[in-house]
Amino acid sequence: MNAKSEIIPAKSESFISRMKEEWRQYVIYLGFIVIFIFFSLTLSDKGFLDPNNLLNIVRQTTMIAVMAVAMTFVLSSGEIDLAIGATAGLVSVTTAMSLAKFGLIGGIIGGLLSGLVVGLINGLLTTRVGIPSFLVTLAMMGIARGTAMWVSNTAAIPILDKTYYFTFGSGNIGPVPILLIWALVIAVIGHIALRKTTFGRKVLATGGSETAARFTGIKTHNIKLQVLIISSVAAAIAGMLYAGRLRSGRFQLGEGDELSVIAAAVLGGTSLFGGFGSVVGSIVGALMIGLINNGLILMGLEFSQQLIARGVIIILAVMVARSRR
Amino acid sequence: MSQADQPPVDAVGMIGIAKSFGGVAALEHVDFSVRKGEIHALLGGNGAGKSTVLKMLSGVHKPDKGEIWINGVKLEEHTPEAARRLGIAMIFQEMSLIPSLTVAQNIFLTREPKSAIGMLDDRTGLKEARILLEKIGVDLDPRRRVDNLSAGQRQLTEIAKALSQQASVLIMDEPTSTLSSAEIEHLFGFLDRLKKSHASIIYVSHRMEEIRRIADRVTVIRNGRNVMTKAVAETTLETIVEEIVGRRVGAFERKARTAKLGAEVLRCVNVTAKPRPLEANLTVRAGEIVGIAGLMGSGRTSLAKSVFGLQPVVSGEIRLKEKAVKISSPPDAVEAGIAMIPEDRLTQGLVLQHSVADNMTLPVIDRNSKLGFVQEEKEKALVADYIKQLRVKTASPQKAVRTLSGGNAQKVVLAKWLATDPLLLILDEPTAGVDIGSKTEIVEIVREFADQGRGVLVISSEPAELLALSDRILVMAGGRVVREISSAEIESWAAKATDTAHRISLMETGLQVAIQEANS
Repeated sequence: MNAKSEIIPAKSESFISRMKEEWRQYVIYLGFIVIFIFFSLTLSDKGFLDPNNLLNIVRQTTMIAVMAVAMTFVLSSGEIDLAIGATAGLVSVTTAMSLAKFGLIGGIIGGLLSGLVVGLINGLLTTRVGIPSFLVTLAMMGIARGTAMWVSNTAAIPILDKTYYFTFGSGNIGPVPILLIWALVIAVIGHIALRKTTFGRKVLATGGSETAARFTGIKTHNIKLQVLIISSVAAAIAGMLYAGRLRSGRFQLGEGDELSVIAAAVLGGTSLFGGFGSVVGSIVGALMIGLINNGLILMGLEFSQQLIARGVIIILAVMVARSRR
Repeated sequence: MSQADQPPVDAVGMIGIAKSFGGVAALEHVDFSVRKGEIHALLGGNGAGKSTVLKMLSGVHKPDKGEIWINGVKLEEHTPEAARRLGIAMIFQEMSLIPSLTVAQNIFLTREPKSAIGMLDDRTGLKEARILLEKIGVDLDPRRRVDNLSAGQRQLTEIAKALSQQASVLIMDEPTSTLSSAEIEHLFGFLDRLKKSHASIIYVSHRMEEIRRIADRVTVIRNGRNVMTKAVAETTLETIVEEIVGRRVGAFERKARTAKLGAEVLRCVNVTAKPRPLEANLTVRAGEIVGIAGLMGSGRTSLAKSVFGLQPVVSGEIRLKEKAVKISSPPDAVEAGIAMIPEDRLTQGLVLQHSVADNMTLPVIDRNSKLGFVQEEKEKALVADYIKQLRVKTASPQKAVRTLSGGNAQKVVLAKWLATDPLLLILDEPTAGVDIGSKTEIVEIVREFADQGRGVLVISSEPAELLALSDRILVMAGGRVVREISSAEIESWAAKATDTAHRISLMETGLQVAIQEANS
């Protein structure tokens, strides 16, 4: 045996050199603070810092945040889900319809079940048939939206159940909007699941290198199936929150959300190519998008200008987060 | 002096080449020349410096010392482009063709004939490709897409591409490893014709019978020096193998193992898959290390793949602990108690972007968890334990595995599996690309592992490594297990040894000759 080998003592890395290496992970938080301060200074006379306005941002961000938590898992596993916005719209309709027919419990079950079915189809087509999730969910986007239009006859379906719309979106507990509680609960569950459970570890390994994960004995197909189901169920919850907030189910709800959700996750440091993810990052990313939307409206920009400004800001933010290596 | 009076210029002249990487000398002093119109075999063991010589010649590396002349012109600028301009072409083992394009499109890729207004002119390309293929005697329709071609046809396309760029020296590294025997015949006929048109071929192969068949001269590189250059007709197989092996230093000593063998762990009965293995039989008992030797393409790796569920078994049976099992995917294999340390640890063994700790604990996360929650304290202890036990050199367990050296990365792969307590451990080229210090450590780790009553199957193209590890060695050729070499027979090769180094050299020569015999 060669006796020369020895253990190199772990070098104590200085705080600065560690920050240099990892600052990209934290740049989203910095960006969030910078944008918040910028709006606070420039829009103070327009009521940006008004507690009501801040709570509004939270209300508008919740659905994106809920879906972004699930998207963190989807992207981390190396897949993507483009159908979430359409699924949310579909679920808002099916929930409203089953509420009218079967009452509160039936309504909730009907909503969750339709999300589960969409996720199961996405997952099985991706993992068992082998169609890339990008294509499966792109097609599902049309199918879900179309189904929602068809079963609702393109009309809004009113929700009259008070308990429902209080719990799912419209209510407040004291000064706290119930939507904030939903967002927090789901964020905490998602964060723990990704960081502290074997499931989260397997998701990251699957996305990091599917071959290596399979050689290690991980049933990567099952992991991907589960992740796509989770994503659709999260979209279903978002759809039910939309329905509660607007006291109706409408097929248009959630339109275009998939892009905001993916942007939120990527802004938060989750890799589009799998292997890395951060639930906290995704939540902050979602808040940042909500913040930008709100600020641009208060600035008095037209919708067309808002779209352009939002796009530019997101590109800049991702560029900063990715520059250096 | 007029040019006619000069002796004919060599196609390649490398004079006094030396090169070191990070202070380690890869080449100490190499002289190597190739005549015009000759096929010159370049031989040497793993790590002898063969590929460094070829990389130098093709302009990938710049020599520290020495000169390179190509067709009488000195290579001044050491870049692949400059070497190519002087006529060097490397025929890649993993083909550098675009599968979705046709033969003609591939031949002229980036140099496509264009029409007057700058549009691609596929018709002219096709015509030129046809003329070229006809001129060099390749019977191939240039309109065919590369992904529809056989391995041999792709290789010919690759050669045609090189020749269309005025290449006069072809470097071929193990060109026959992916070819069928009919295709090999075809290739040899082609190379014979090619050399008559004064092209030179540098031919690298481990198959001695091919070298005898096709090469005019042979040069052997060992420990960074050229130790022999001779006409093939004037030498023998034994002489060549002895020159390749040389006298070994005692890094890989074969020590007798005293562990008692237990019950049968693995038995393969006539295992057949496509295209290999063919009716392969073997057994591994608890506590036993069985080595598999053979040339590239002999079916060594394919057999391991069949056992690990990476390729479907067409017929035959795999038995674990005397029970027939059906393994159709790697997760099945892991569940059945088989662990595999794959040939390509970078893509198959590790999640490179993830930390040392995350990689080590991945196969046992389910065991180190409660109700689905990872028990971090338990994991930390395990990781610290293995880093210490296997002497993994890493700044911290949280460092990404990709920052580790080859030897340390391989130790992480080993650590992954030691904790899972598998019945059977399969190692495919366990010390490829690993420094010599880690090599001996890895050999030691595997032996200790077997001592604890596990079965081990080792595949290696490095004879010294197989000899150091294995109790028995099976030789594969053409997809079949054709010979079993017992421990006693290995010892008998070294009966006349005078010292340890001599002993290792004699054993290595014995095994090399056995492999060559199995192939003829």
